Amino acid sequence: MSETRRLIFERLKTALGGVADKKPLPDYPADVAVSLGARVPGDPVARFCQSLEAVRGRAFTDPAALGAWLKERRATRGYCDPALVSWLTTALGDGLTLESTLARERIDDYQFGITRARGAVAETGSLILDDATTSRRLGALAPWIHIAVVSPGRILPDVGSAIAALGGDPNVIFCTGPSKTADVEGILIEGVHGPGEQVALIHLFGAP
Amino acid sequence: MSRPEEPIDRFAAAQSESRRSAVRLGSKAGHEKRTEVLFRDYADPDSLRRLAGEIKQHTLDHLDLYLERAQARLEANGAKVHFAADAEEACRTVLGILQGRGAQRVVKTKSMATEEIELGAFLERHGVESLETDLGEFIVQLDADKPSHIVKPIMHKDRREVARTFEGHGLGAYDDTPEVITRRAREHLRRKYLEADAGITGANFVSAESGRLVLVTNEGNSRFCLAATRCHIAVVGIEKLVPRDRDLGLFLNLLARSATGQSLSVYTEFIAGPRGAGQPDGPEEMHVIFLDGGRSEILAGDAREILRCIRCGACLNVCPVYRQASGHAYRGVYSGPVGAVLTPLLAGERFPEFADLPRASSLCGACNEVCPVDIPIPDLLLRLRDRGKRAGVKPAGAAPSMKTFARLASRPAAWRRALRAGRLLGLLPGPLRPRALRVWESNHVLPPWRGGAFRAWMAERKRKQP
Amino acid sequence: MQRSGFVKVPQMKAPRVQLMATCLADAFFDDVARATVEVLEHLGCEVSFPEDQTCCSQPAFNSGDWPAARSVARHCLRVFNDAAPVVVPSGSCARMVSHGALLLFEGEGEADRAGAAELAQRTWELGDFVVRGLGVARWPGRLGMRLAFHRSCHSRGTAYADGALTLLRSIEGVEGVELGAGEQCCGFGGTFSVAFPHLSRGMGTLKIEHVLATAPDALVSGDSSCLMHVAGLADRTGRPLRTLHLAQVLRDALRASGEASA
Repeated sequence: MSETRRLIFERLKTALGGVADKKPLPDYPADVAVSLGARVPGDPVARFCQSLEAVRGRAFTDPAALGAWLKERRATRGYCDPALVSWLTTALGDGLTLESTLARERIDDYQFGITRARGAVAETGSLILDDATTSRRLGALAPWIHIAVVSPGRILPDVGSAIAALGGDPNVIFCTGPSKTADVEGILIEGVHGPGEQVALIHLFGAP
Repeated sequence: MSRPEEPIDRFAAAQSESRRSAVRLGSKAGHEKRTEVLFRDYADPDSLRRLAGEIKQHTLDHLDLYLERAQARLEANGAKVHFAADAEEACRTVLGILQGRGAQRVVKTKSMATEEIELGAFLERHGVESLETDLGEFIVQLDADKPSHIVKPIMHKDRREVARTFEGHGLGAYDDTPEVITRRAREHLRRKYLEADAGITGANFVSAESGRLVLVTNEGNSRFCLAATRCHIAVVGIEKLVPRDRDLGLFLNLLARSATGQSLSVYTEFIAGPRGAGQPDGPEEMHVIFLDGGRSEILAGDAREILRCIRCGACLNVCPVYRQASGHAYRGVYSGPVGAVLTPLLAGERFPEFADLPRASSLCGACNEVCPVDIPIPDLLLRLRDRGKRAGVKPAGAAPSMKTFARLASRPAAWRRALRAGRLLGLLPGPLRPRALRVWESNHVLPPWRGGAFRAWMAERKRKQP
Repeated sequence: MQRSGFVKVPQMKAPRVQLMATCLADAFFDDVARATVEVLEHLGCEVSFPEDQTCCSQPAFNSGDWPAARSVARHCLRVFNDAAPVVVPSGSCARMVSHGALLLFEGEGEADRAGAAELAQRTWELGDFVVRGLGVARWPGRLGMRLAFHRSCHSRGTAYADGALTLLRSIEGVEGVELGAGEQCCGFGGTFSVAFPHLSRGMGTLKIEHVLATAPDALVSGDSSCLMHVAGLADRTGRPLRTLHLAQVLRDALRASGEASA
C-alpha cells in the first residue's frame, strides 16, 4: 500500500508541477450560501416549523398532542431513548408502549422511534442527529415514524452555521424530512428505507 | 443506403420513441426544478457557481497537499486509509478487508467510483454477496441492466418494466403502483441490511480539514448501510476533496439544488471516523480507499477542470444531445456532457473507442451554464477533439475533411473561384455529390447557391459611391 | 467559461467599419450581407468589405483539426489587420473570433496570440454593435409582424441576444415572442449536423415544434446557420417556416417607413 501511495503522490506532484497559474483559495463571507428566505429576520422556532412542514415533516411542541396523533395513526408501540422514557410515558398520555431497548430481530415491531436531536436547522427544517445524542442510530432510522426531541435553544439559523457547529462527534447527520425517492417515473414516494414520517418534538427536555 | 455512423448517433436513431420521451420529460423536469429553486433562493446563483468552481480548481491545483492532510486527519480519527492506483487494486483492497473479517454479505450505496471499478461483479466472483440498496440501482441490479443517469438511474424505465422485474425475482405478484414497488423494496432490503457484514459507500465530498466524508441520499440507504453493519468501507476518488468544512456548506447548498431542486437532500451525513463511544449502532471499523483510477493522468492534461465535477447531473438534464440519445448511448459509467469528457479520458488507451463522444455536441454551452462548479465543458470537448485528431482517430460520420476547406479558405482567389463554381455541385447527380452534402440533403432542403452574388453587389455599390 | 474579458470601447460617432460577411452569406445568404450593409450605412457608418476574406475558421476548429483552423485563422487576422472595428452578422462567428481563436492560438507564437487578442477586442456581432457599440436602443421604421426569436447558442454569456431583442421589440408593429425551452440548441452545430444527423434532426424537430407553437409570422435569429438548419429541416418535413435574419428585419423596417437607402 505504501508503494501505491508513493506512486500516486509522485504522479500528482508531476501533474501539478506543470501547472503555471495555480488558483488561490478564494476568501468569501460565511453567509454566502444562506438562502434569501433565511436572511429575513424571524423567530427560529417558527421558521424551523415552517421549513419542516415544507418538506412534509411535522412539528409538535406539546407531547400530549403528539401522543394523540400517534394513537390516531394507530402507532402505539415504539422505541424510546431510555433517558426520555419516564418523562414521555406520562407526557405522551395513555395507550402507548415505549420500549427502551431496540431488538434488531424484531425491528418491524417498532412503529415509532423517539430519540434526541442535538439541534436543528431553521433554514431547511433539518434535524441534527449525532452519535452522542442519539441513543441508537437504528431507533431513529428504522421505524416508520421518527420523533426527534429537540430543544428550542438548539435551533440554528442555516446550513452554514450548522456546519460550523459540527464539533467533534464522528457521525453527524442532517435529516430533512421523511425518506423519499422519485426513482420510479419521477413519482415521489415517501418512506423508502428511512422513516416515512419525520416528526420534531420541540421541547426543553430535548437538551441532554 | 448503408454507411458507417458514429456510435452515439446510431444508438439515438435506434432508440424507441417511448424511451426518448421518458428521458426528455425527466430531464426537462429536473432542469426546470433546478432553475426555479436556484433563482428563488439566491440573488446571483451564477456568482456562487463561479466561487465553487474556484474552490474546486484550487483544491485540484494543490491536490497532493490536501490529500495528505485528509489522510492524516482520518487516521487521527481512527479510520484506516488505503490508496489504490487502479480498479484492480481498489477491488483487491476491498476484498482483503472483507476477507480479514470473514465478511460474506455486503450492502452498498450508489457510488460512481464503485461502478468505475466494477466492484459488485468482482465481489460476486469472489464469493461475496453485494447488494445495491439505492432503489434505482437495486432495480438495475435485478435486471442486470446499467444505470442511464448519474442521479436517476432508472430514468429510462417505466413502472410496468419495474413491476415485471419484481415479479420475475419473487418480490410479489405483478403490481406497478409506485407505492407498492417502493414498499416491497423497503421490506426486502431491510432484512438484507440487518444480515450484512459490511457497508460499502462512496463519498460526495471529503473535507481535508476534518477528514469528514459527506454522504448524501434521499432514501436513507447509506445511513442504513452504516447503522446496521459493523464495518464501513468507502471508495473515494482522489478528486472528491474540498479544503475545509466551511466549504462544504457552499457545495451542499449547490449540490441538492442542482441535482433535484431541493435545498438539501433528505440525509446529509458527516462521517469523521468509526462510531462514537457509547453508540451501539454503526461501524466499529472504517476504511477509506482513495482511488486514482486515471485521475492523476487527467490532472496532468488539458481537460483537468473536469475533475471539479460534483456529480449533480444538472448538465445531463439540460443537454439536448443527452435528451435525444439517453444515458446508455455513452457506453460508460458517466453520461451526458460530463461523460463526453470523462469517459474517453478514463478509458486511457481505449480513448479511440469513445472519440465520438466529444464530437457529439453542437457546443451549445448549456452544460456550462448550469454547472455548479463552472466547468468549461465546451472548451474541454474542443480540446478532446483536437486530441482525437492528433491521435489519428478516423471519425465514422460524414463530417468532411478540413484539408480542402483550409486550402480554399486561406487562398482568396481560389475561394472566390469556388464561390462561383459551387453552383455546379447542385448539378451533380445524387451518388456523385460529396457525402456530407448527401447527408445534409437527407434531412434538409438546401438553400439556393448564391456564391459571388454579394461580392458583385458590394463591388457595384462601391463603384457608385464616391 | 473562459471569457475574453476585453472591454470594447463604444464609439458614438459614425465610424468606419469592416464587414465580415461570413462564409455562409458568401455562399447562400447574400441578402443578409446586403441588409447588414444597409443597416450600418443607415447608422452613418462607412462600410468597407475586405475582398480577401474567406472564413473565421470555426468549421475546422470545431471539428478538431486545429492545424487547419490555424492556417485559416491566420489568414483572417491578416485580412482584418486594420484598426477599424469588424462587424459580423453572426453571433457564432463573432464568438469564434473573440473566444475560439484565443484557445486556438494558446501555446502558439506571440505574434499569433497578440494578433488574435487584438482582433477579438474590436469584433462585434451586429445587434450588439448597434445597441452597445453605437448606443442605439430604439429602431426606427415599422414592421407589422409577429416574430419568434431564437437565441442562438453562441449568444450565451454575451450581450448578443439581448441586443437583438431590444431592437426587435422597439420596432413599431413588431410583436416579439420568445420560444419555449429557449435554452435548447436547434441542433445545427456546424459539422455536427452531418456527423450526427439523427441527433441533429431530433433536436431540430423539437425546435420546430416550439416555433410552431408560437404561431409566428417568421422566426428571427442573429445567426443564419441556425436559420438554415431549422428552415431546411422544416422544408424537408413538409412544414415550411419563414425565417428572417436580424439584419433583414431591421432593413425591412426601414424600407417600410421609406427610410432605407436602397
